[in-house]
Amino acid sequence: MLTADRRRLVHHLLRAGILAGFAMYIVHLVRNDSITLYIAPRMVLYVKLSAIGLYAAAVYQLYAALQAGTGRKAADCDCDHEPPASLWKNIIIYGLFLFPLTIGFLLPDGTLGSSMAAKKGFTFSIESSLTETAPAPTTGPLTEQQLNALFPAEEFTESLAEYAKKLYLQDEIIVPEKQYIETLSTLELYRPHFIGKTIVISGFVYRQEGMTRDQFAVSRFVMNCCSADAMPYGMMASAPSAAAYSNDSWVTVRGTLTEISYNNQMILQLDVKHMEVIDALDAPYVYPDYNFDL
Amino acid sequence: MKYIYRLGTPLIAVICLILLAGIISDLGLMGSLAEIDSAAFQSFKILFISILLEAIPFILIGVLFSALLQVFISDAVIARLTPKNPAAGILFGSLLGLLLPLCECGMIPVVRRLIRKGMPAYIGIIFIFAGPIINPVVFTSTFTAFRAEPAMAYSRLGLAFVVCVILGMLLYRFMKGDPLKRDAYSLAKANNGLASIHEQRPSESPANHSGGLLGRFGATMSHASDEFFDIGKYLIFGAFLAALVQTFVDREVLTALSGQSVTSSAFMMGFAFLLSLCSTSDAFVASSFTGIFRPGALLAFLVFGPMVDLKSTLMLLSAFRTKVVLAVTGILFILVLAGSILAERLLF
Repeated sequence: MLTADRRRLVHHLLRAGILAGFAMYIVHLVRNDSITLYIAPRMVLYVKLSAIGLYAAAVYQLYAALQAGTGRKAADCDCDHEPPASLWKNIIIYGLFLFPLTIGFLLPDGTLGSSMAAKKGFTFSIESSLTETAPAPTTGPLTEQQLNALFPAEEFTESLAEYAKKLYLQDEIIVPEKQYIETLSTLELYRPHFIGKTIVISGFVYRQEGMTRDQFAVSRFVMNCCSADAMPYGMMASAPSAAAYSNDSWVTVRGTLTEISYNNQMILQLDVKHMEVIDALDAPYVYPDYNFDL
Repeated sequence: MKYIYRLGTPLIAVICLILLAGIISDLGLMGSLAEIDSAAFQSFKILFISILLEAIPFILIGVLFSALLQVFISDAVIARLTPKNPAAGILFGSLLGLLLPLCECGMIPVVRRLIRKGMPAYIGIIFIFAGPIINPVVFTSTFTAFRAEPAMAYSRLGLAFVVCVILGMLLYRFMKGDPLKRDAYSLAKANNGLASIHEQRPSESPANHSGGLLGRFGATMSHASDEFFDIGKYLIFGAFLAALVQTFVDREVLTALSGQSVTSSAFMMGFAFLLSLCSTSDAFVASSFTGIFRPGALLAFLVFGPMVDLKSTLMLLSAFRTKVVLAVTGILFILVLAGSILAERLLF
C-alpha cells in the first residue's frame, strides 16, 4: 500500500468514527430523554434528523476508507480539503472533535441552577406594570364590560389581556408549566388587580444579594432554542421558614400576592402560606408558548 | 492573526487538559475550588454541548447545500443568476435571506462555495451578514420577544439592511482581488502547477464528477463530510469559548456600563460578540435587558450579534482572508454603532 493511501485510510477511518460518535451521542441523549436538557423541544426533530445525516456521512467515510485501503480512489475530487500533513495538527484537530464527545458521554447530565442564574442575571419583572387601570368594583360578579375596563389592551398586549381575564376569575391561580412565562407576564402587566390573589408556583430556590433572611425566588430557566439562551425568571417569595430550604432545591409554593420594593423597583412577592419540597422536575426548563398569540 | 491560528488550538488543548486534570485530581489548588468548580463545569458542559447540538443541523444543511451546489450546479448557471449591476447585486445579496433563511452557521460554507463558483464576492459577503437578520424567522422571533415595543423588530431589520447596503457599496468600491483564503487548490496551482495531483479547474462544468448519479452522490457526500470537518473545528472552538464566557462572566457586573449611549451600545455589541447566540433566539435574551439598557443598545446587540460573533468570526476566518475579515468587522462595528445611536434618537 502506498503511504498516501495509508494516510487517507487513517483519515477516513477517524472521520467515520467521529461522525458516528456524534450521531450516537444524539441517539444516546434521545434515548435517555435528556436531549431537552440541552435544546428546546421544537429543535429536537432537527437534531434527530441531523443524527441520520451524520450516520450517512460516517457510512460514506467508511466506504471511502475501504476504497483507500484497496488502493482505489473514492468518488471524491479532493479539490480543496486535503487534511494537513503535520501529525500534531491532526492530533489537535481530531482532539477538538473528540473533546465534546468525551465530556458528553462521560460526564453525567445536569441542569442549570442557582450559580448559573446568578451569572446570567436574574429577572423578576418581565413586563412593566400598567399604572393607569380602572379600580376594581367591590361587589357582585363582574360583567363583561367591567372586565374589559379592568384589563385594557393595546394592539400587542391583547392576548395577555384575554388571558388576564381568564386568570382573574379563578380563585387560585396555578402557574402552568406550559404558559409559565406568559402567566408571570400577565400578573406583572395587570399587577394592581392580582394583588391579594392566591398563586401556586413551582421552581427551584434561588437567592441573591439584597434579599432578607425570609426571602428567596421561586425560579425557572426559560429556554428558547438551547440552554445558551436560557434565562432565569421567577417570583419573589417570603416565608419565615425560608432558611430551611437550600438553594437549588425544588419547591411548590402557595401564597398571596403582594407588592414590595426590591432594589428600588416595585416587584411582586408571594407571602407564602404553604411550601413543600418536590422532586426535581424531569423537564426543568420552561419554554415560551408559541401558540399563545393565536 | 497567523499566531492566533497557530497557537489558538494548542492553547485550548492545554486549557482542556488543565480542566480535565482539575476534575480528576481533587487535590491541592483544585481542592478549595472543587465545590464551585463542579457546578461551573457542569454549567459549562451544558452550554457547550447545547450550542453544538443547536448548530449541528444548520451546519449540516449548510455543508449539504454547498456540496450540492458544487456537484450539480455549474458555474455558468450561478453567473447567469447573479445580477451584473452592482446596485442590483447589493440588493440581491441583502435580500437573499428571504429566500434562503439559513442562520449564520449554515451560511458560511454556502457563500464560500458560491464565491468560488463565480458569484461576485461583495454580494456573497453581504449575504453572510444580512441573511441571519433579514429573514422571516428572525423577524417573527424578535417581534414576539419585544411584544411591547414593535418598533424594535422593524428597526432591527431596517438597520441591518442599511448597514449591509453601505457595506456592499464599500466592498464593491474598495475590495480588489479574491477575499477567499488561499486553499490547497490555489496554493498548489501557485506552486508551478502542482495542482495536477487532483486537477480540477474551478471553471469546469460539474460533468467532471463522472460516473452518473451514483458518482455524483458519492461526490456530494465526500464534499459535505470534508466541509463538515473543515468548518466544524471552528464551530467547536467558538462554542468552547462562548460557553466559557457565559459560565464565568458575571452579567451583573456588566450593567454598571449601561449609562451613556455610545458606551452602552458599544458594550452590548461586544457582549453579543462574546455570547455567540443564534439569531433566531437572541431577541429573547435582549428583551431580558429591557429597562437596564437603552433601546439603542439593545438594537446594537440585535444587529451586530448575528453579523459578527465569536463563533462565526472563527468560521469566517476558515473561509476568508484575515485582512478581509478584520476590515469588514471594523466597518460593521462602526456602522452598527452609529446606526443604533441614530435610531435611538429617531425612533424610541
